[in-house]
Amino acid sequence: MAVDADVRAPAAPLAGALGTRLRRFGELTREVLRNPTTMIGLALIVGMIGMAIFAPLLIEPNTPNPYQMPRDWGALNEPPGTPGHILGTTQQGGDVLYGVIWGARTSLRLSLIVVSITVVIGLIVGSLAGFLGGKIDEFLMRLVDIFLSIPELIFALAIAAVLGPSFGNIILALAAVFWVKYARIIRGQVIHIKQNEYVDAARVIGDSSLRIYSKDVLPNSITPVVVQATLDMGNVVLIGATLSFIGLAEAGLAEWGVLVSQGQAGISAGRWWASTFPGLMVFVWALAFNLVGDGLRDILDPRTETKR
Amino acid sequence: MTFASAPEPAVDTAGTVASVVGLRVHFESKAGRVHAVDGVDFDIRDGETLGLVGETGCGKTVTARSFLRLVPMPPGVHAGGSIYFRPHVRCSNCSGLGCDVCAGTGRLPVACGECAGGGCPHCDDTGFETIDLSRIPERQLREIRGDRIAMIFQDPAKALNPALTVRSQIAEVFSQHRSDEVLELAGLGTSRNPLLRRHVSQTTRLFERWLLALPPMRSQRRRIEQVIDGMVAAALAETQIPNPAKVMQRYPHELSGGMKQRAMIAQALACNPDLLIADEPTTALDVTVQARIIELIKQLQVRHESAVLYISHDLSLVRRVCDRVAVMYAGRIVEIGPTEEIFANPLHPYTRGLIAAIPSRAHDRGQLVAIKGTVPELIDPPPSCRFVQRCSYAVSICGEIDPELASGPGRHAAACFIHNPPEDAAELPSFSRVTT
Amino acid sequence: MQIRDYVLRRMMVLPILIIGTSLIVFTLTRVGGSPIGIYLSHEMTPEEVAEVEQRYGLDEPLPVQYLTWAGGMLTGDWGWSGVAAAPVRQVFPDKLGATMELAVAAGIVAVALGIGLGTYGGARRDRLPDHLTRVFSISGAAMPIFWFGILLLIVFWVGLGWAPIGRSDADIFQSIAHPTGLYTVDAVLAGSWNALVDAIWHLILPAIALGFGTTAIITRMMRSSLVETMGEEYVDAARAKGLPEKLVLRRHARRNALIPTVTVIGLSFGFLLQGTVVVEIIFRWPGLGRWMADAVLRGDQATIMAYVMFTSVLFLLVNLVVDVMYAYLDRRVVLGA
Repeated sequence: MAVDADVRAPAAPLAGALGTRLRRFGELTREVLRNPTTMIGLALIVGMIGMAIFAPLLIEPNTPNPYQMPRDWGALNEPPGTPGHILGTTQQGGDVLYGVIWGARTSLRLSLIVVSITVVIGLIVGSLAGFLGGKIDEFLMRLVDIFLSIPELIFALAIAAVLGPSFGNIILALAAVFWVKYARIIRGQVIHIKQNEYVDAARVIGDSSLRIYSKDVLPNSITPVVVQATLDMGNVVLIGATLSFIGLAEAGLAEWGVLVSQGQAGISAGRWWASTFPGLMVFVWALAFNLVGDGLRDILDPRTETKR
Repeated sequence: MTFASAPEPAVDTAGTVASVVGLRVHFESKAGRVHAVDGVDFDIRDGETLGLVGETGCGKTVTARSFLRLVPMPPGVHAGGSIYFRPHVRCSNCSGLGCDVCAGTGRLPVACGECAGGGCPHCDDTGFETIDLSRIPERQLREIRGDRIAMIFQDPAKALNPALTVRSQIAEVFSQHRSDEVLELAGLGTSRNPLLRRHVSQTTRLFERWLLALPPMRSQRRRIEQVIDGMVAAALAETQIPNPAKVMQRYPHELSGGMKQRAMIAQALACNPDLLIADEPTTALDVTVQARIIELIKQLQVRHESAVLYISHDLSLVRRVCDRVAVMYAGRIVEIGPTEEIFANPLHPYTRGLIAAIPSRAHDRGQLVAIKGTVPELIDPPPSCRFVQRCSYAVSICGEIDPELASGPGRHAAACFIHNPPEDAAELPSFSRVTT
Repeated sequence: MQIRDYVLRRMMVLPILIIGTSLIVFTLTRVGGSPIGIYLSHEMTPEEVAEVEQRYGLDEPLPVQYLTWAGGMLTGDWGWSGVAAAPVRQVFPDKLGATMELAVAAGIVAVALGIGLGTYGGARRDRLPDHLTRVFSISGAAMPIFWFGILLLIVFWVGLGWAPIGRSDADIFQSIAHPTGLYTVDAVLAGSWNALVDAIWHLILPAIALGFGTTAIITRMMRSSLVETMGEEYVDAARAKGLPEKLVLRRHARRNALIPTVTVIGLSFGFLLQGTVVVEIIFRWPGLGRWMADAVLRGDQATIMAYVMFTSVLFLLVNLVVDVMYAYLDRRVVLGA
């Protein structure tokens, strides 16, 4: 049954990929604003990142290393509410609020560095595997499978153990573990694009592999990579704090996991605050990024896109 | 209650198996209230095939699903009207095989409960039991679903559960509606064991299912399974599926599209329903298979003497299959009548456009005719005729009032001022005057 | 039959993955620390050290060293644990029992509760029970296990003085025999009510701490899977056949919704294993996880290597089983449909 046939020229697949993305960005922000849980997550993220960035303004940085917990020998184990120490102090006289705020800064550094490194590594490995195919692809994907067969925390634990306990090594360990998902995503995209007919069309026109790559693979991969990166921003801190909790970071570091660990000793004596507040921050951080990541995933899911 | 439809023809022996009266089904959405079905009236006569045609979004699927209350009720809302149904039972004289008493159909309409056939307001003086499908309690509706009214869905790949064999899915119908018969055939009819009865009718509780797994019950269970196997095989054989015993052990994805649809048809006709609702049964199939399935449905319909409500968007297909056709547009019936009359003399401008759009030898090669415009927004529709934007013959009155379905020449009815002009209209539309 | 082929194919890949993992573990240890560390203990004399060096061929080229180590893993020589001051192989079973008991308890609760809550919420989509279960599942997935464990301790141990720390009361524990290594099972076998109560009493808090996150993940997967299944055409078709809603839910919706959930259950096993490390530290549970944590802090390479190999192999096996179950449940997977 023919209804008024509004015949348009098929959208040029090569030129459109990036442009469509940008147009969708506007719709995307509108969708995000409509979803309450995502908004809450976003608000929390903004709050915590703000806390991290403005840390020196919010609370006097410790000297010489602001990332080390300050020690106030005159105020050991103070409960929350004591003047000057709203959230109380630790067994070494460290201000819990200081740990919370500067811990945010530490976490931000950790997650940004790790996520950046892993995205890049995943991009490289995934592209190589996808484009080159054959034995190299098989080898790399086997490698990815092997990495995935070791549970994340345990793998990171082993690597950090081998490298030696330090925060820098935690960063390396996490990077070594978290890159695999991106490799898979990118490789999947490359293969999908390779099989697509319009790549053959592009080749016929004479587009080089590089152009195809930047015009089609990258823009189409942005979505799942962004979703994964958002979720990882949360999970990296979660696992990083766990590693620090177990003891793989330097003692006295202004980091949430370290603080929770050191606060453990006081629990039997009823001193709950040194562990509770930093731990709460880890939870809120992971929660916020998970909320936003999930919200993004729901919005960007190709199935929900076509429903509109 | 009045049945707004075409006047009864001079000789009409068929009873009415279902009547849709003023049906309104709306949907609450973020944008507003969508009037998907907005005042639909038609009858389905016993043994006939009624086609319900229209383009995507006209409300035909919602209408069809409303018979069995399959429209999800949030966001859907039953905004008015009723669907009346006259159930039949197996003719006791011939046990469903066909005789003079039941005019060969094997089924007799149930006598009205209030007046026992004498005639009363409850049954509109017909003497037959009439049920309002849109209002009866769920429990009663469930007895009708699959038994008196059955449905064939558009895409058999989606409408069959991929995790269950064909046999188990068809068996469900027998278990649900023919459990007594199953027990009889298994020789367990006189069994006083309530557990067994519940097992057959699928109403067991959790721990009862464990009990049934125990050895003592095994031989009885096996007999029941065998009986059901036989019934399922018979149902499949009817749809001309080769080797039914093997096919029924298969999973849906192992069958071709045509076979899947046959299985679904077998499932629908298993209990000899009075009314079969076929929602675009061939749309998802290859063209070559389509013809065979249509033939099959027609044969089976004749054999079971059931009425068929045939939903389609394909006019040419409907012409081959249906006795009468109802054309639907934007939630309303715009034309209804015997198939040949509709095709020979379409009354409504929309129907005219549809028929003209069917590619045929009458058209010049390379030319496709289309109806200009698109289906209107169904959110809070204005009081005008719904087709006014696309109609080539519209005049001012068409934009102000919505015409009712009323009889035109011949045995068919249309909702258009061309055939039923309002009394005080300034100017009247007509096919001889093209206004746009 | 096709399923058999599928299973065989998956099983053939398994050894490759295990070997690959062992290579990575081996490489890790060669990257840092003394290569002979795993076979030595502090008490050995220089002569014994030299003898160990020769025995394990540590002057040999790397590939040979790898083969020696791998051979040792397969034959039962897992090296010496500095932390436990004993051969790894000797200490392993007891600690394995403790961890398995904890993980299985948490796992059973997580699966049962997760499927139940997910179905409950999914069947009542967008109504209050659904919103509550969704809040639970999102917060559960983001919950740091170490924090949750400590909170539980603060509330229940310090605050209310209910549940105890550790695995058992030493006296009661020693009063019964331990054939299986699982305290609860041993208590039942020994017919000791005291022991059973003691076992469960100590098990509750750590199991909750461990299982919380996993329950959340399974709940969420089950819920979304069920919602998706309820929207499928065959569910409507089942209703159209006149089946009661409970039967539609049970046989058509939930069974199909379980299929993707099963894979999540497999993955969440890895989550559980990871969690044991932290939970055992906090609750002073004498299992593999705590041993690993100590090993990590004190450079006990033998333990680290054995633990990583063990968890990886276990994880791989569990996922294999899950994938086979998935293929069995969803026949389309086998055909690659």
